Amino acid sequence: MSRARVAGLKPALVLMVICMVFSAILVVVHDLTKGKIAEVEREEVNRALSEVFPSAEFEKIDDYYKVFENGVLVGYALLGEGQGYGGVYGGEPIKLVVGVNLDKTVKSVKIISHSETPGIGSKIEEENFLSQFSGKTLEDLKLRSDGGKIDAITGATISSKAVVDIVRGEVQKIASEMGEGR
Amino acid sequence: MRIQEFTKGIIKRNAVFSLALGLCPTLAVTIMVENALGMAFAVTFVLVLSNLIVSVIKGFVPPDVRIPCFIVVIASLVTVIEFIMRAYSPTLAEHLGIFLPLITVNCLILGRAEAFASRRPVADSILDSLGMSVGFGLALIMVSAIRELLGSGKIVIFGHEIVPTVLSSPAVAMTLAPGAFLTIGILLAIMRRFRVI
Repeated sequence: MSRARVAGLKPALVLMVICMVFSAILVVVHDLTKGKIAEVEREEVNRALSEVFPSAEFEKIDDYYKVFENGVLVGYALLGEGQGYGGVYGGEPIKLVVGVNLDKTVKSVKIISHSETPGIGSKIEEENFLSQFSGKTLEDLKLRSDGGKIDAITGATISSKAVVDIVRGEVQKIASEMGEGR
Repeated sequence: MRIQEFTKGIIKRNAVFSLALGLCPTLAVTIMVENALGMAFAVTFVLVLSNLIVSVIKGFVPPDVRIPCFIVVIASLVTVIEFIMRAYSPTLAEHLGIFLPLITVNCLILGRAEAFASRRPVADSILDSLGMSVGFGLALIMVSAIRELLGSGKIVIFGHEIVPTVLSSPAVAMTLAPGAFLTIGILLAIMRRFRVI
């Protein structure tokens, strides 16, 4: 190889070396933090679960939890997520926990995380909105404008509808599971 | 090494108000002072280290691939700070959302690497990055304090109420995009009028 061609390779080689060095750094940092990140995510889910069913024990089955109080089955808890208004602009989806009673009514709903507009869509995490879900059956779980019994937040119809849709989807899922005689 | 390299970035050549760099995160995350502090911290981390590294490697990076090399350095640093924030400050990471990884394309950081660190000694580059970071942080805090006060009626930082409720019916628009443009525009106009910058 001529000297000129070797010199022509230099930029590519320098870039390659820099990429390799920084990839190595990223591997190390990822390894150091991944345990902690997973733990943070588990804690978030556990906190939401215990808010829906305080002082209960959870047994994870496939994609839902059986909830026991003093060894007796009292209901189910499910994690749901879906796109709200924030997700449209590349934000995080709405993540929530739904507690379902044995009679297939909703016990309560807690939002784990969301990226809705602050001051408007962010009201989905307030008790005023979420307390409406308690005791509702599958048929009631629609916005009032769609024939259901949930009032949307003023100015945040898309966020409200997203929450109602996620909750209805999860209740439907557990209702069909229970229908199979489990 | 000259101390002006540090002080110039704070007011005279302020990243946001004078250079008009890094406007995207300034508009987006300044809803709350808490977010502004988080963003300022993340940008300081990335800017200081990227200026340091770029200044050190400038001697053997061929000119034709310098921008890709700088971007690799910056993107890696951003990923590092993102991992660290998600592990140790998850709420803050969630608030900053997409704007945390987007620090990679913050013009301020590539701008300082290209315009300053790649042609100056290491010590000057560190001073420059520290000054720029302080200036950027101050700008974010100013904008976010005004927006949080008018938009939420109070200022809460990491659970501490710094300013108790002063407005019982705050102007929600201030927490939205128009509030950001209004605040930055008015601040810029005032600073130009009184020749602060």
